[in-house]
Formats: sequence, structure tokens, C-alpha cells
Amino acid sequence: MNGQLDLSLRGHRSGLITVSDLVRRVRDALDASLGDSWVVGEVSNARLAPSNHLYFTLKDSRSAINVVMFKSAFQRMRFKVADGMEVIVRGRVQVFEQRGALQLYAEEMEPRGIGALQVAFDQLKRRLEAEGLFDRARKRAIPFLPRRIGIVTARGGAGLRDMLRILFDRFPGIQVIFRPARVQGDGAALEIADAIADLNRDGRAEVLIVGRGGGSLEDLWAFNEELVARAIFRSAIPVISAVGHEIDYTIADFVADLRAPTPTAAAQMVVPSLTELQTRVESLGASLASVMERDLSSRRESVDDLSARIRHPAAIVAEARERLASLEADLLDAATSRIADTRRSIRELLLRLRTPGAMLRDLRLQTSRLSNNLVHSAAMALEARRRQLGASAGRLDALSPLKVLDRGYAVVINTTNSRAVLDAATVKFDDDLDIRLAKGRLHARATGRSL
Amino acid sequence: MTNKPKKFEDELKDLEAIVSQIDSGDLTLDESIAAFERGVMLVKALNGKLDEVERKVELLTRSAGGELRTAPFEQPSDNQNDHPAGAKDDDETPF
Repeated sequence: MNGQLDLSLRGHRSGLITVSDLVRRVRDALDASLGDSWVVGEVSNARLAPSNHLYFTLKDSRSAINVVMFKSAFQRMRFKVADGMEVIVRGRVQVFEQRGALQLYAEEMEPRGIGALQVAFDQLKRRLEAEGLFDRARKRAIPFLPRRIGIVTARGGAGLRDMLRILFDRFPGIQVIFRPARVQGDGAALEIADAIADLNRDGRAEVLIVGRGGGSLEDLWAFNEELVARAIFRSAIPVISAVGHEIDYTIADFVADLRAPTPTAAAQMVVPSLTELQTRVESLGASLASVMERDLSSRRESVDDLSARIRHPAAIVAEARERLASLEADLLDAATSRIADTRRSIRELLLRLRTPGAMLRDLRLQTSRLSNNLVHSAAMALEARRRQLGASAGRLDALSPLKVLDRGYAVVINTTNSRAVLDAATVKFDDDLDIRLAKGRLHARATGRSL
Repeated sequence: MTNKPKKFEDELKDLEAIVSQIDSGDLTLDESIAAFERGVMLVKALNGKLDEVERKVELLTRSAGGELRTAPFEQPSDNQNDHPAGAKDDDETPF
């Protein structure tokens, strides 16, 4: 129970043990010597597994240890843990046998202010920003089609491999100048800064990609250091930062001329796709040909038009001649018909002219006709008078009083005054009356009267 | 810093400008033909630039004396399935 690790194998060849034995011994020794510990450190690379166990690394400036906090303990926690946070953890250190790694099993945890790295980051960011290192105005344009691309990243890293694959996929005829640099750990910032400076001295690259694949805040820390920021700022060649940490920005991201979220994305941004460019050039060539063709054919049309107009004078003469001919014909027509008309009227006039003999004959004829008419009308008039006379005599006859007497009437005449008696009052007693009958007369005396 | 005669994108823009110039019908016949000839040359030049196959990866290193050296770089294409969990080389970081 002395808690000492006694693993010395020197001179104990015969006592050869397996890895499992060794790890088990370490575990036992640990269990024996360490109980619960209160540990202060900075959280990094915190991630919550789907099982709701929390995993993170607890670290200080010199060391780090993996921590796991099981669901039951995690759910009791009152604050949200985040990378860079300084915390106090109570837990027990054990060996994770499969990997022979130390692991701290946390039971509880409490915050202890913001982590030192975060503070450093914020301070540097503010300072460089004030100095103008992040100014948009000073950012350089990334060339459209760079033929040489400088890359600063770790040799053999996944970032390099991804970038080369994408670059050559998109544009096979491209050159890469790779300047390897360690991208994490002590001295990484200096190496990255040197690499950027070297590529500038070499001078052939038209654009630089500086970056690495994803990692924890500590892994990416070099890209948050002032050395790197200043090297990017000083670079005469435009710089694309490509630090694989999609959510957070690094200081390098702020200074770079263009920020790519990952190395892969940087490779996609930095070169256009060859096939797209070929298609574009091809279609431009095709439109060049077609606009030229159209241009020429429209010119040809106007030339044809002009030459058609140049041939016209002959046609004008022909047309004029034709018109002249038709006018002539019209004129002739008009003239002949006019002559005919005139001739006709002359003939008519001639016809109307008569000889004196004929006139005499006519007059004689007319005279005889008139005299005939005269005789005839005189006879007619006589006859008419005669008829009229007969009719009048008849009427006279009918009106004669004698005719009334024929019908039995009589006329009484008062002989004293020889007047026809029309009123009995005019006759006095004993007046002599003469009664005239149709045949003969009667003489009578008035013997009475009635009025 | 290589002073190339004309950048690809500039030539591309020139070509676009030529196409729209000819299309506008504002040029004289001579100008139009001259523009067309320039356009044809640009298409050739652009295609030429796209056809340049000079695929190459160089490794840039610096000697202790500060001299820059370049050497052909073998792409680490073979160890594609080699994932970061692997052992650390002195020289290589798994990212």
C-alpha cells in the first residue's frame, strides 16, 4: 500500500508482462493512490455525445487530461460549459484501459471565469482591429485564375490532401508551391509566419492558402497568434485563410484577404472550374461567330438593296417610255373619238338643213291640213248647235202650261182682270171666270168661295 | 509578380465586349472585321490558357542558411485512409 509505481522491468526479462497487465497495474496503482480530486483548468474541445455524456479536455499551459462527465452528473450542472472556460472539476482519475489513457471522471463542475485563451484572443483581436489589420479597404482581390498557388499547412495533413485533390479536379493545369509548416503546438505560429514570408520571397505564387483541417480551439491556436496575423498582413501575395473551424473565426480569418471555412472550401474558391471556363469560352466563340455572320449578312442585304437601286435608271427610262406610249395611245383615242363626234354632229346639222322647195311643199301640206281641219270643225260646231237647240226645245215644251193641261189640270182666269187665279180670295162673288182646259174653254161664274 | 501579357479574366471581358460591339451594329465594316479577328485571337488565347497543363506540386524549403529551395513534391495520395488517430511522426501533424 505504499502507492509507488514500481514498473521497472530492467533486468526482469523473465517477468515479461502484456500491455493489459501493465495498464491494469497502472490502474490499480492509481486507484490506490488517488481519491477524489478538485482540479482547476480550462475546458477545450467540449462535446456532448448523443448519449448526453459530456466529453472535454481540461488543460492548463503545460498539461491536459481528457474528462468525461456522465449524463447523471451533467444534468445536475447549472451552467453551460464552453470551450475556453476556466472551471473547477471534482472527480476521480482512472485509466481508460482500451487506450491506456488517463481519464478524469467528473462528478461536478463549476465555472471559474473566462479562460485565459479566450481573454488572450479577445485582447489581440481588439488591438489588431484598432490597428487596422482587419480593414476591408486593404483587402486584396483574389486573382480570378491563379496559375501558381502557395499553400502553407502541415505536411501529410488531411488539409493538404483535400486541397490538392480539389485544386487538380477543378483545374488540372495548376501549380502548387507547398511550404510545409507545423500548424499546432509550440512554435507553430512562428513556422506559419516564416512559411508565409518564404512564399513571398519566392514570389511566384499568385495567391496563398494558409490553414489546416478542423481541430479544437487549442489545436487551432497558432492561427490566433499575433505572429501569424502580422505575417498575413505583411504578405504582398493575397492570402486565403482556411482554418477548419466552421463556426468560430480565428484572428487569421480576420486579417486574411478571404476567409474560407475549410481547406476544401478554400481550394474551391481559389480556382474556377476548368470545364466551366471552357464552356464559357466556347459559347463566347460561338456568339462571336454568329454575331459576325449576322453583321455581314445585314451588310450584304444593304449592299443588295443599294445595287438594286443603282440599276433603276434603265427601268425608269423603260417605265417612262411605256407611259409615254400609253399616253400617246390615249391621246390618239381621244382625238379620233372627238373627230367622230364632230363628224356626227355635222351630219346631223346637215340633215337638218332643208331646200326651199321642200319647205314650200311642207307649207302647202300644212295649209291644206289646216283648211281641212277648219271645214271639219265648222261642221262639228253646227251639228253641236243643232243638238243643243233640239234639247232646249224639248225642255221648253215640257215647261209649257199647255202640257200641264194635258195631264187634267185647268187654268182659271178671272175675266175682270184677265189674271190667272191663284188665290180664291181674289175672286169675288159673281166674278166671271174663264176656265181653260186642254181642249176648249169653259165660262163660269163664282157662286161661292171657301178660304 | 510574373508579368503575364494579359490576365485570363481580362481577355474574357475583352471577348465579351467584342461580341456585344459587333452585335450592336455600330461598327463600320472594317472595324467589325478587325474586331472579329481580335475576337478569334482571344478565343484562341483563352483556350490556349485553359489547355496549359502544367500540373505540378513543388516543395519549398529553407536551408539553415536561409536559402530557399524547391523540389518536386510527391503527393501524399497513398495514405488517404490514414486517419489522424494514427501515431504521431516527429515531423507530421495529423491535420
